[in-house]
Amino acid sequence: MNDKIAIEVSNLGKAYRLGANRRHYELREQIAHIFQSIPVWFKDWPGSATTNNMLWALSDATFKIYQGENVGIIGLNGAGKSTLLKILSRITAPTTGRARIYGRMGAMLEVGTGFHPEQTGRENVYLYGTILGMTRSEINNKFDEILDFSGIGNLIDTPVKRYSSGMYVRLAFAVAAHVEPDVLLLDEVLAVGDLSFQRKCMEYTKRLQEKNATILVVSHNMFSVKAMCQRVIYIKKGRVQFDGPTEEGIRIYEEDCSLSELNLPGSENQKIKLTRFELSDTDGISKNVFEYGERIRITFNYLAQAAIEYPNFILNIVRSDGVVCCSYSTEIDGFSIVCLKDQGVMQLITPPIKLVAELYTIHVIIREKGFQKILCAQIGSNFHVKHHIFDINFGVFYESGKWDMGY
Amino acid sequence: MNSQHYRQVVEIRPSKGLFDLELGLVWQYRELLYFLLMRDLKVRYKQAALGAGWAIIQPIIATLIFTLVFGVFVKVPSDGLPYTVFAFTALLPWTLFAESLRRGGISLVGDSALIQKIYFPRLVIPLATALTALVDFLISLLMLFVLLLWYSIPLTLNIVFLPFFIFFTVVLAFSFGLWLGPLNIKFRDVQHIIPFLLQIWMYACPIVYPLSIIPEKYRWLYNLNPMVGVIEGFRWSLLGKENAEFQAIWITVIFVLLLLFGGVVYFKKMERSFADLI
Repeated sequence: MNDKIAIEVSNLGKAYRLGANRRHYELREQIAHIFQSIPVWFKDWPGSATTNNMLWALSDATFKIYQGENVGIIGLNGAGKSTLLKILSRITAPTTGRARIYGRMGAMLEVGTGFHPEQTGRENVYLYGTILGMTRSEINNKFDEILDFSGIGNLIDTPVKRYSSGMYVRLAFAVAAHVEPDVLLLDEVLAVGDLSFQRKCMEYTKRLQEKNATILVVSHNMFSVKAMCQRVIYIKKGRVQFDGPTEEGIRIYEEDCSLSELNLPGSENQKIKLTRFELSDTDGISKNVFEYGERIRITFNYLAQAAIEYPNFILNIVRSDGVVCCSYSTEIDGFSIVCLKDQGVMQLITPPIKLVAELYTIHVIIREKGFQKILCAQIGSNFHVKHHIFDINFGVFYESGKWDMGY
Repeated sequence: MNSQHYRQVVEIRPSKGLFDLELGLVWQYRELLYFLLMRDLKVRYKQAALGAGWAIIQPIIATLIFTLVFGVFVKVPSDGLPYTVFAFTALLPWTLFAESLRRGGISLVGDSALIQKIYFPRLVIPLATALTALVDFLISLLMLFVLLLWYSIPLTLNIVFLPFFIFFTVVLAFSFGLWLGPLNIKFRDVQHIIPFLLQIWMYACPIVYPLSIIPEKYRWLYNLNPMVGVIEGFRWSLLGKENAEFQAIWITVIFVLLLLFGGVVYFKKMERSFADLI
């Protein structure tokens, strides 16, 4: 790392007018709206000032990123991470503040948006390449490399509408990966595609890192953030909450995440909620890193506002890429709860965990009797599974089989 | 890292100067313009059996209908020319203008996925659209020369001014597109209004009837329609009319310049909120 600045952001903010985020206006509605709002003009309503109608998706963001740094932007959904990236990639203009980006910028907010299904792979490579800011001669020079990287082969002259979605993304990424920017803005693209493709993405970012490129990556995947970044910026409700070493940032983020609500349909009116959530080993020692094959003791407190009959507690273990790996349910496990009132504690001891080494999150969902209406959906907390061999390449979990030879 | 790139600096601010038009950026992205143009052309004709033939069918059918209705039945005067030639010469620039304007109005919304996800100078989109219509036009222009041969109407020296009128038709449609495209992002009503507008507008132009039937004292008012100058210019340069309607042509030129400049300023101002509104 050197002390040359790559991205300089000061007091950057973006406000959206509430109610203006609809797909589009209709002239008729707009006119109707003007007439409806006439009474408001004459009344000095408290809180009718325009500032109250603004939603600040991002406010007062200030930071400096030096050349060669790899910085992760983390935060909950809707915290303003993508807004920050959209401003920096010049897709949308900020409301306040300013930012400076030094060097050639590349942004990958979604791969393949420039593709047209009727055009052949080759035509799309040129179109998408120029959209991303490459020149035609640059694409000419790199065309074989792009083709090789994508693994599309002789289908390159076939319209991309005949491609599988995997091929489509691979080709698009191959183009984007050859832009060779000094500053790269990445938005969760690493989360798409199959495993071998994800590996290619990692190789690509590594190659960029070796060339001393600056990378700013927005991700929900703490695993890849940890692997890639030395520094994270944690954004909470539009504000920079933390800016510093990755380990510490992720710890603060995970603490904040704990017990936050999951956005599941129908989970809005919560008659019951969790007030505490803790992981420990069978001896009751609190921790969040477990060995492969260890049992996990999950303890949580609930607070019920009304009596709930026959609730069904479900704990889902969700891998960092969103795959639900396994699940425990009071009802299925034959643990019947007649009625819940006020507050209490519950505990689950899992069977020996055979999940491969990864980062997992526990989601708690409480449903009405059976698998009916959701009463509560919250994020419990995260834990890591450790093992020296078993990783995601071995599947979701590894369990020994019984082998034999010739009989 | 790449030695041929100088260390460029991108400055991001809440608002730019009203007249900071960043036209250099469009030049930087000129190759994108080319590939967008190719995309639009290919996509339009790729799975059509008649392919680019569709480009000339529209003005031909319109000419046939007009010849039958206005030339044969109603007997509208045509300045002593065969009605077919008279109408087709005017329908050429009109079709160019109308198609270009219609597509220009919806082009931004049509590329909404791009606008929401990738940065590039947005001006490239309406530019590509205007040029697509120009390609269609050039095909049907060939058709006109065939027609002139058929009726043995000789070309005059006036034809050297034809490129000038073609240019102004495209720029006029492009300038309207600069206003209508951003408006359509905010109010989708615009894309429904455009076809009506064009239908009415067509009859306000000397296409099916000659300019000579407009009384001299109202001519100045009639000439305020910028398409009058263009259409008369086409007839003048292709059919060798004695004297051109210079007043109308001057009005067109001034109108185009004002509309274009205002349009670029408006477009650049609106551009910053495209991604939020689309």
